[in-house]
Amino acid sequence: MIETVNLKKIYNQGKRFQVEAVIDANVVAENGEITVFVGPSGCGKTTLMSMVGQLLTPTKGRILIDNEDITSYSDGWKAVFRRENVGFIFQHINLLPNLNALENVMIPLMSHNVNPDEFRDPALQLLEVLGLAERAYFGVEQLSGGQQQRVAVARALITKPNIIIADEPLTFVDKESAKAITDYFGKLRDDGKTMLISSHVSNLTELADKTYLMKNGRIDESSAG
Amino acid sequence: MKNRFRNLANYALNCIKRYKVRTLVIIVSLSIAAFIFASVSFMKEGLVREGELSLKYAPDLTVQGMFAGRQSLINTSYIYYIQKTLGVKAVEERIWGYGNIGNTLLVIVGIDLDNPVVNPASAYPLVSGSFLDSQENNSVVIGKAVADLTGARVGSWLAILTESNQVRQYKVRGVFSSESSIYNADMILMSENDARLFFGIPEGKVTDLLVYTEDVNKAYYVTQLNFVAREISELPNVRVLTKDILLKAQETTYGARSGFFSITWFTVLVSAAIVAFNQTVVVGHESKFEVGLLKALGFSTSDIIQVRLIESLILGVLAGSIGIASGIFFDTVLGAPVFRDFLLGWAVLYPAFSVPVHISLQTVLITYAITIVPLLFATVVPSWLNATVDPDLAMRGARA
Repeated sequence: MIETVNLKKIYNQGKRFQVEAVIDANVVAENGEITVFVGPSGCGKTTLMSMVGQLLTPTKGRILIDNEDITSYSDGWKAVFRRENVGFIFQHINLLPNLNALENVMIPLMSHNVNPDEFRDPALQLLEVLGLAERAYFGVEQLSGGQQQRVAVARALITKPNIIIADEPLTFVDKESAKAITDYFGKLRDDGKTMLISSHVSNLTELADKTYLMKNGRIDESSAG
Repeated sequence: MKNRFRNLANYALNCIKRYKVRTLVIIVSLSIAAFIFASVSFMKEGLVREGELSLKYAPDLTVQGMFAGRQSLINTSYIYYIQKTLGVKAVEERIWGYGNIGNTLLVIVGIDLDNPVVNPASAYPLVSGSFLDSQENNSVVIGKAVADLTGARVGSWLAILTESNQVRQYKVRGVFSSESSIYNADMILMSENDARLFFGIPEGKVTDLLVYTEDVNKAYYVTQLNFVAREISELPNVRVLTKDILLKAQETTYGARSGFFSITWFTVLVSAAIVAFNQTVVVGHESKFEVGLLKALGFSTSDIIQVRLIESLILGVLAGSIGIASGIFFDTVLGAPVFRDFLLGWAVLYPAFSVPVHISLQTVLITYAITIVPLLFATVVPSWLNATVDPDLAMRGARA
């Protein structure tokens, strides 16, 4: 279970352009469930998810994973936490240029003590499941936005993480890719993965076991199912 | 951990291949810097080493006459006084100067063949013919470079022009080689008497006096030398040169010529600046974003530093190796055109000699340091700084 307690993030604290991006967020995401954060752009969804994923240090508050407080982890332990537990899907996709789809999928393995060759087939299978079998060796520049996002989904899953954090995963995606990704998220839930997804539109709420509505950095309301 | 390191190394290699333009800029600029530095350093070291070799059989002290603050001939009557100085083993007369063969100025040295302190056969090992005979006038032994330059062989006659434009003929008795090719190879040796006649030096005067000190323990050598030098300096109208001073003079000559050396360092600094600029400005944002992304995907700060270290080492070693290999090829095979004229100066007088090159481990290591250290600073430090901020901020900052 992922839990946040009075989580707060202030950018440029004490400076002229101080921004309170997330204010006292109390969120609970159960294991094996999909938790969706909905709200307009700039309401703090990405900041909240980045803090949960240990990509961003909170200004205040705590983050508990299975009742273990991970907020005060050192930089090294945060890296271990991300490496062992979390797969990220970013709004801006963030694939590395000049690499092909398969190479991008394999990147997270580079920080693991594994032989990447053993993961080549699983990576190809992931791409196949996401409808990119024939694009595996294409450079990312040759792929459409939707195809790139599907590569990013495969990259997030190659290390078999328990937690998947997807920030606006359908923003730059065509209908066909959106359906492929949404269907796959459902399958991941069936596999017992814990998923946190943010969206500025409510097209992913159908999948959600729990939905949080965010507004101006605060959790406005939550609903189950 | 073996797999993990291999993966990080593979990723580093991948970065080198992926950023082709950056890689090319780094390798080209650092290779050029390494090439110039290595080439000039190898030549400079070669010259200094030749200088040391040329002094191998040199006397401990050289005493010259002074007149009106300038060097002049010295009276042989000084020998008596110098010989009496405590610590002096032997004193030898020497007459030397310059003579012209064609348009080339060559060094002519007269040797005391009756009482040589240093065996000439050791100092000037012959490659052909025989050494000078005190009973035979108008004969010479020539350095190999003189033989190559003039085409003279054992038995042939050599015409040398004096300062008063008189031509004198000498029979070549032998050709010698020398460990120190630059300093001795352009020498013509003759008997002291022949040299006296050639230069028109009157009896009782010589160019300089060579002083050899007693063999003592190495620890006392400098003390003894300083004592003897001080005692001789007390004599009127003389100056005393120690072996050290001669060596320093040679080093200073090339050190000063290596004002060119300063240009080398300037080139190196410019290359380092190009690399730093390339890293921080051109690929800075890209690099910052990549660091943030890698951390998000599970890389730790130390993983990222390792990747950049491996990348910098590969590029630095590659550029250094290309530079060193080019430097060696340029100096030894091509004879260091352009650089040689800058550094040696006397190429006009003596165009046929080969450039002395000495490849020392120290220079090789310094060259690698030149290519690796700027890269480490320009690559690892910014990556480390980027890696210490939250991955989300690094990615946002790079995208902004």
